[in-house]
Amino acid sequence: MSASSFQALDYLEQLPVQTHRKLYEQPSTVLAIFRCMLPHLAKSIVMALLYMPTPFPATDLDAWFRAESTQTKRGAMFILEKLHIIVQKQDDARQLSYELYPSFASSLRQALEGSGSHRSFGVPSHKTEERRVSVDFLDSYSQRQWENILFYLVGGTVGFRNAGGQDIGSGTKSLLQMAGFFNHGRITQEGFTFVLRDTNAQVWSLLVAYLRNAPQQRMSETDILNFLFMLGSLELGQDYSTATLSATQLQMLEDLAEFGIIYRSHKSASTFYPTRLAVTLTSDAGALSQGAGSATGGGSTAKGFIIVETNYRIYAYTNSLLQIAILSLFTHLRTRFPNLVSGKITRRSIGRAIAYGITSAQVIEYLDTHAHPQMQKTKPFLPPTVMDQIRLWEYERERMETSQGFLMRDFTSEISYKEYVQYAKDNGVFVWQNDKQRMFFIDSIEVVGAKIKRDRQKTRA
Amino acid sequence: MNAIDASDHHERVDETVPPSLLAIVLDTNPHAWAHLSSTLPLATALANLLVFINAHLASGNGNSVAVIASHSNKSCFLYPTPTPASPQSRHSAANGDVEMNGTADNTSYSVQDNPNKYRPFANVETAILSNFAKLMEGTKESHLAATPTTLIGGALSLALSYIAKATLVNSPTTSNTEEAMLAIADPEATRTSYVSLASRILIVSVSGDLANQYIPVMNSIFAAQRKRIPIDILKLAGDTVLLQQASDATGGVYMKPERPEGLLQYLMMAFLPDPTARRSLVMPSAGGVDFRAACFCHRKVVDIGFVCSVCLSIFCTADLPDNLCLTCGSYLSLRAAESNPPALIPRKKKKKKRVGGTDSATPGGSTPAGSNTPMHA
Repeated sequence: MSASSFQALDYLEQLPVQTHRKLYEQPSTVLAIFRCMLPHLAKSIVMALLYMPTPFPATDLDAWFRAESTQTKRGAMFILEKLHIIVQKQDDARQLSYELYPSFASSLRQALEGSGSHRSFGVPSHKTEERRVSVDFLDSYSQRQWENILFYLVGGTVGFRNAGGQDIGSGTKSLLQMAGFFNHGRITQEGFTFVLRDTNAQVWSLLVAYLRNAPQQRMSETDILNFLFMLGSLELGQDYSTATLSATQLQMLEDLAEFGIIYRSHKSASTFYPTRLAVTLTSDAGALSQGAGSATGGGSTAKGFIIVETNYRIYAYTNSLLQIAILSLFTHLRTRFPNLVSGKITRRSIGRAIAYGITSAQVIEYLDTHAHPQMQKTKPFLPPTVMDQIRLWEYERERMETSQGFLMRDFTSEISYKEYVQYAKDNGVFVWQNDKQRMFFIDSIEVVGAKIKRDRQKTRA
Repeated sequence: MNAIDASDHHERVDETVPPSLLAIVLDTNPHAWAHLSSTLPLATALANLLVFINAHLASGNGNSVAVIASHSNKSCFLYPTPTPASPQSRHSAANGDVEMNGTADNTSYSVQDNPNKYRPFANVETAILSNFAKLMEGTKESHLAATPTTLIGGALSLALSYIAKATLVNSPTTSNTEEAMLAIADPEATRTSYVSLASRILIVSVSGDLANQYIPVMNSIFAAQRKRIPIDILKLAGDTVLLQQASDATGGVYMKPERPEGLLQYLMMAFLPDPTARRSLVMPSAGGVDFRAACFCHRKVVDIGFVCSVCLSIFCTADLPDNLCLTCGSYLSLRAAESNPPALIPRKKKKKKRVGGTDSATPGGSTPAGSNTPMHA
């Protein structure tokens, strides 16, 4: 499970049970959830239960796990129950047992066996179009579209003009605002988090924003999710028919085409092509390194392209304007060659990045994801000195910490002061104290306020 | 700061699970399957196995599979489809496995565009079924009459070599062939960088009596042990000492289901968890393992044998031609050892000879040593 699917998992987890039920009717969705969202151990549990004719007694399940891994088991079961995949049952003898949610089980079985007539893995178009598009074309198309979005976010801050690319649509712009990536013509801190991630994570965070936005557009979340998970199971370079799609999904086609996730030859075409961004939606970092990595910055950056030396110098083998723009957010770039830019990480450049709202963790993560294969031979990929220094430069700026809250003072007696301090500590709202002046600071007034009221009433009574 | 901050406690640890390669050795011995046909026909078993393969592929994004048939006259790959050696057959496909059938545009078999099936599953399934059909068509009566057993040794070696190759291709720095060569030369030194692929072998065995392949199988077991590849055994029929030892030595799962009809459930529960998941699960093992060896001269399982002091070859009889070891040719005076035997041994040996080894002192002794697969001519 990659970090990118966590966002999708977070989103799925908070959906109500009705939505889960509706989702589980589609085999491709169930398969995608199984493949990408579940923790490793949960997959083993689901598979063990899948073809089991009777419910699985809880005691047997406990016996199946080693004693030392109860913690991991509990975590796996927690997610399974939260997604309503597993159902707890109690039989007449008050024995607890587990079984899979019936529609989830039957859909997963259909997916594994290839049975049923749900047509959820995409209906390929059999028309032999003379203008079939090639995989290379799809790659460059999706790359162009996606980079346009990223460039829209980054370009303004770094002061680059988008050379050659066209502007992005108004729908995408409002979506970026809605997601909180872009505000008042400036990129926000969330926006930087977004830009510095790997492509798969970027796609998911944009899509999650899209999903959250769906109810306002009168689109069904279930349909959107089903469609997204179906996209993940399609094949690159094959065109699929739009005949089986619902109204919501047809509406989505347009938006997704703008993101570069799918390609349509024209707006009313009866077929669509998934691009590499789509087919890697439900796959892991493993598939990403071959696939979606190339979508971010041309052939030269297919894998990692950044070399960081222990003397803080950076060499990035790229000619992509976008990557250079991102790099220039936190490095002092000095020279540019046809296939290489070089620069240095300095205290000043990091300071500037932090002033934008980028954190040191984001910088390190970005360098880590895009580390050159030569760098990937060592573990950790980046020189530890550089990582530490970047963090230290960030802490340098954080000597003061502010927190909002309430100052409690003017206690009549030492005893009552101590009592309140203890009470605040017990309730986890305590921030700071000064015994000499009998004052302390809390970040929430509710519980302590209630106690004060209660005590006052008591003294009065 | 000693304030309690709930927002920071939700950082999840990203436990990356290495992709796992499952090499399945399917024993397709026609005699044994004919014997099983009343409870579990081969077609049903194959269908169950395909579901199991799909489940394995679904369990991890980098997961890949190889299926090898161990037939009565040959062992061959069912998936990936082997092609005549070509220099550019090292492109990896969607699943990250070494495509022996080149890239996806190879149309030796046609995958129907079935909208009800996930494409990677369909690819694997079609390849296996078509290769299996080819294998069955190629089987002649003369092959069946020649031997009642199966070539498990060859199939195991195929699986091991495939895993070795896949491990090299899967390693982080694949482009550098020089390094790949270095890795072959010095597997110990570079192990740390090549742990990326977790491989295991599953043998679905139906034939008994594999003692005639004792040496090749044992060698494969030791190779697997050294490479830390667990060998799982699913024994649907018959019983062999050899395969028990294989799973025991390599830390694999051994299972002999009482009801072969429930094959799929056994596969899903006991054999699907990969090495990462197995660390937290209690896996079935052989229990009492029969450690008896087969002699090198007649391929019989022996309770007590004679061992060459130079090369450790095992013989069931002291009557070696010219008193020379059959393997290394050193002079052995086994007769002298026999003339002065410890008191207990001859009695046990006589007993075993009389009843065919049903009542031996070793654990798991209920397994008949010479349980030949019945002939179905």
